[in-house]
Amino acid sequence: MGESLSARNIVKHYGGVVALSDGNLEVRAREVVALIGANGSGKSTMSKVINGVVVLDGGQLLLDGNPIHFPSPQAAKNAGIATVFQELSLIPQMTVAENIWLTREPLNSFGQVDRKAVKRRTEELLGLFEGTYKTALHPDASIASLPPDEKQIIEILKAISFNPWLVILDEATASLDSRQVQRLFDLVAKWKEQGKAIVFVSHRMEEIFRIADKYVVLRNGRTVGAGNIQDINEKQLIKLMIEKESVLGFLRGGAKSEEKIEKEVALEVENLTNDGLRGVSFKVHKGELVGIGGLRGQGQRHLLHSLFGDILYSGIVKLFNQEVRFKHPRDAMRRGFALVPGDRAKEGLLYIRSILDNLLLPSWRRFGFPLKVSNARTEATQVGSHLNLKMAGLDEPVSSLSGGNAQKVVIGKWLMRDPQVLLLDDPTKGVDVGTKAEFYALLTRLSSQDGKTILLYSSDDEELIGLCDRVLVMHDGMIHTELSGNTLTKENLIGASLGASQGDRE
Amino acid sequence: MNRSRWEVFTRRQPALFALVLLVLAVAINLIVQPHMFARETLNSNMRVFLPLILLAVGQAIVILAGGIDISVGGIASIVNTVLATRVGLEGSPAEMWRYVFISLIIGLLAGAINGFFIAFLRLQPIITTYATSFLYAGLALFILPNPGGGIPGNIAAFYRNSTPLHLPLAFYVIAVVLLIWSYLRSTRYGNFLYAVGGRAQAAYETAVPVTWVQFGTYLISGLMAAFAGLAITMLSGSGNADIGAPMTLNSITAVVIGGNALSGGVGGVAGPVMGAITLGVIQNIISFANIDTWWETLVRAVIIVVALAAPGIVNLFRRRQP
Amino acid sequence: MAVVLFLLSGLLPNGFGSDLDVARAQVLNILRLAVFLGVIAAGQTLVIISGSEGIDLSAGSVVTLTAILTYILVNGANEKVLLALLVVLAAGALIGFINGVGITFLKISPFVMTLGMAGVVTGAIIVITHGSVTGKVAPIMTRLIARPLSPSLPIPNAVLIWILFGILIWLLLERTTFGRNLFAIGVNRITAKLSGVNVTRMNLLTYSLAGALAGFGGFLLVGNTGVVHLQLGQPFLFPSIAAVAVGGTLLSGGKGSYWGTMAGAIVLTLITSLLTTMQMPDSVRRMVLGGTLLILISIYGRQRALRQ
Repeated sequence: MGESLSARNIVKHYGGVVALSDGNLEVRAREVVALIGANGSGKSTMSKVINGVVVLDGGQLLLDGNPIHFPSPQAAKNAGIATVFQELSLIPQMTVAENIWLTREPLNSFGQVDRKAVKRRTEELLGLFEGTYKTALHPDASIASLPPDEKQIIEILKAISFNPWLVILDEATASLDSRQVQRLFDLVAKWKEQGKAIVFVSHRMEEIFRIADKYVVLRNGRTVGAGNIQDINEKQLIKLMIEKESVLGFLRGGAKSEEKIEKEVALEVENLTNDGLRGVSFKVHKGELVGIGGLRGQGQRHLLHSLFGDILYSGIVKLFNQEVRFKHPRDAMRRGFALVPGDRAKEGLLYIRSILDNLLLPSWRRFGFPLKVSNARTEATQVGSHLNLKMAGLDEPVSSLSGGNAQKVVIGKWLMRDPQVLLLDDPTKGVDVGTKAEFYALLTRLSSQDGKTILLYSSDDEELIGLCDRVLVMHDGMIHTELSGNTLTKENLIGASLGASQGDRE
Repeated sequence: MNRSRWEVFTRRQPALFALVLLVLAVAINLIVQPHMFARETLNSNMRVFLPLILLAVGQAIVILAGGIDISVGGIASIVNTVLATRVGLEGSPAEMWRYVFISLIIGLLAGAINGFFIAFLRLQPIITTYATSFLYAGLALFILPNPGGGIPGNIAAFYRNSTPLHLPLAFYVIAVVLLIWSYLRSTRYGNFLYAVGGRAQAAYETAVPVTWVQFGTYLISGLMAAFAGLAITMLSGSGNADIGAPMTLNSITAVVIGGNALSGGVGGVAGPVMGAITLGVIQNIISFANIDTWWETLVRAVIIVVALAAPGIVNLFRRRQP
Repeated sequence: MAVVLFLLSGLLPNGFGSDLDVARAQVLNILRLAVFLGVIAAGQTLVIISGSEGIDLSAGSVVTLTAILTYILVNGANEKVLLALLVVLAAGALIGFINGVGITFLKISPFVMTLGMAGVVTGAIIVITHGSVTGKVAPIMTRLIARPLSPSLPIPNAVLIWILFGILIWLLLERTTFGRNLFAIGVNRITAKLSGVNVTRMNLLTYSLAGALAGFGGFLLVGNTGVVHLQLGQPFLFPSIAAVAVGGTLLSGGKGSYWGTMAGAIVLTLITSLLTTMQMPDSVRRMVLGGTLLILISIYGRQRALRQ
């Protein structure tokens, strides 16, 4: 059993992007250290450095006071460090048991995997979360068939199966429901008694204050604060996390929901159903900025992508009272829709192509044959300055941009088409605080002044409250609650996200 | 999640499809060639099938781990040309053994070269093994520019005629291979293969030695290609630098028929073995079906394309169901 | 990088003789030979740019098929030339379309699908020709392709055609929506779809076009040499892929240009010529080509490391 791990002055960059410039962290046995930071602060990079998945460019790791270097994830494992990722380290085609025991399967005397022992020990592990499963989870289930919360639980079981002394929980509660989170925290308490150390990477304040003993705050790749959790409160933590308070204190001045309801209905959705949605119905008025809330993975992405024509659905969608059915994003685009997807690297950008190519991708057809590239460049430059895009030039690859600026490119390519309906999937994820403020101003202007209809999903409650006229909270593929005006509060949002029934709130 | 029962079942038993196909093919063959199961015919058939079977086993393992090996035909050709020139028609059994041993080393070496570029330098498997296939084919041509040479007649005859316990020699070879595979499958290494083929990055983060696993599969493929080269040399008794070329595509087809996913992580070795036999049976059927010689090449090629397309077509129908 | 290689390759012929005229003749010779590889590699360039391990291994057999078809259809008559050209373009496009269908709808990997189709096309050739081919090239073809435009400009027309061809392909890649979309799907199909690109249609179009371009290559080839045989197109297949790689197009897709491929074709033709001059047998040529491609992808084709 180890006793302590220190990370001092860690530096890490990915290509041109600096993820960590001065990361510091200390964790000891029998304590839970919360590693806190906004998106893009370097939290995940820190945990990846500690568990050997990425190479650090500068700084030092100390195990029990002795300098140590992890040349591979195996080395970190050997040192007794386990990490629970957000279900990224499971092999979908293999079973629960195979995934948990991979590389450490109990063997018989012939060097073969001892199947009976595997089954027995897997069942023991599964028993730790007994009572919180939705499906009949057994060792031979294939990972691909499991819902996200159970995949997450398997990740947790996998991490503790070799009895590590340090467990890193990297946003491990994101997919879990409240019962499972409680069970996890019970286990964490038990682990502390056994002498383990835990690093809890998260940005959920409520959970942090429930479970942590100490805290470390990262901001823009640097550790800006550390100490005992009892000596600090939520507001101070938030202040450490962000530079300007103004962003979170951002409240839209001027008219809110009441006036908007008088305007015409721009988008009407009736009983939208497919693999991820179980009958979603709602209306959005022209010029409204409606938010979608709820824990991640409850169907928000499905909703946005279905409306955009990317996923097939059954049900009715009406645009300005005319029924539409989009079979391909191109159809949706023709009717004035735009989608800013949730994962810009995978879904929103062509990473190795130039900024110009990215901005123009949906719009080339407008420029004739042969393409009048100079006109395209002019328009692209206009959009760029309109959005305050900081770039070296239109021909630079989009990979050279910071997160916030890259997201501007994604939004920019749609603004060039003057869309009527904007669908946004967590647009400020991984975006720095200054750019966030610019986005808020932009979205507000687009809806209030320009009369665009906006449907926005955000995993950030403050953002939803500050930006939106109304919020539709989704849970398990359906709209669970609609909050607006006085009912649009943080407590109600969280309650509705967790599936609490109407009567519990007020 | 609603997964149909059929899907779950076929996921667990990918070789079932191969078995059905095999039975079907054999049935048709029996119609065209009624004495198919007579000892002599069976023996003759099996030794013709054996090179492809060996190749398919190696290919299956490489594909399982997420790669592919286009150079197997070239490696088999090199082995054939080495044996044909070095041992020759007048060679002694001792020389034969020596060069058999050397051939296996050649196979391992060729596999190691592939493995180095793919596993360590992280190049794309398809284009890399395509490049090395040219390298190896060229080498085979260099060793033996014109068809000729061969191996001693008595050794070839031994291969042709030996039927221990009244069963073709090929059966024993296949049995040994399957036994070795079933042991391998039950070890940690077996799981590593599936993990690397399933999701290499996740396997890496779980501390699976991905690079070494991938490297190992190319060694195995090279070795099996060498064995295949040996088998085909024993079969034909002579040397020809182009002998391996058509076998490459066939080995991939055999793996696909065998139920393995070309993307890796799914399937086994028994399926591809059956797939290779099925392909051989189909060739038999074509020979016996009295098709015009001019049409033979086309028919064979179309069958291969259909075989390759089959899993895709099946998937297409599956996906149509809501 | 391709430019450097191009310049380098320009220097080498000069080492063969101090006489400027001889050197010029040799350069022209290389260029003339490179034309056909260059045209055949055009389709290859397109499918490789389209990403997802795009490749066209049926190009060699398509070239043979279209050359034979031209030979038979034209049979020495000038009037039939245009018809023959249209027929072979259509034939190439059809084969490419089948490739596209298998790749897009049946999810067969491009390598395997085009390799399989190569066999089918070869089989079809045997059926059509029964081993021997009767026909003839029309004089107008030889005039337009093999001969120079005028005595004062001793460049074979084929080279001029190639330059014109190159400009057209450049236009296609850089100045049409198709071209921009092609690069897009080569980089990231999901982003492309979510930005309105019909990926399925692009795929089918690309492979059909590649087939048609290979067909054009066959037409030109038979116009130049005037003879056909069953192995006419095969020697161009591997070099066509190598030419694309040498020319700087990423084998993973999303980035590249036809000018690079042209330079690559010239370099490869140069290497082949050198080997022939040195009287190296075919086997060595194959090994050198294989080795060259291997070295190239080692430099330019490395994928993301598992550990960053």
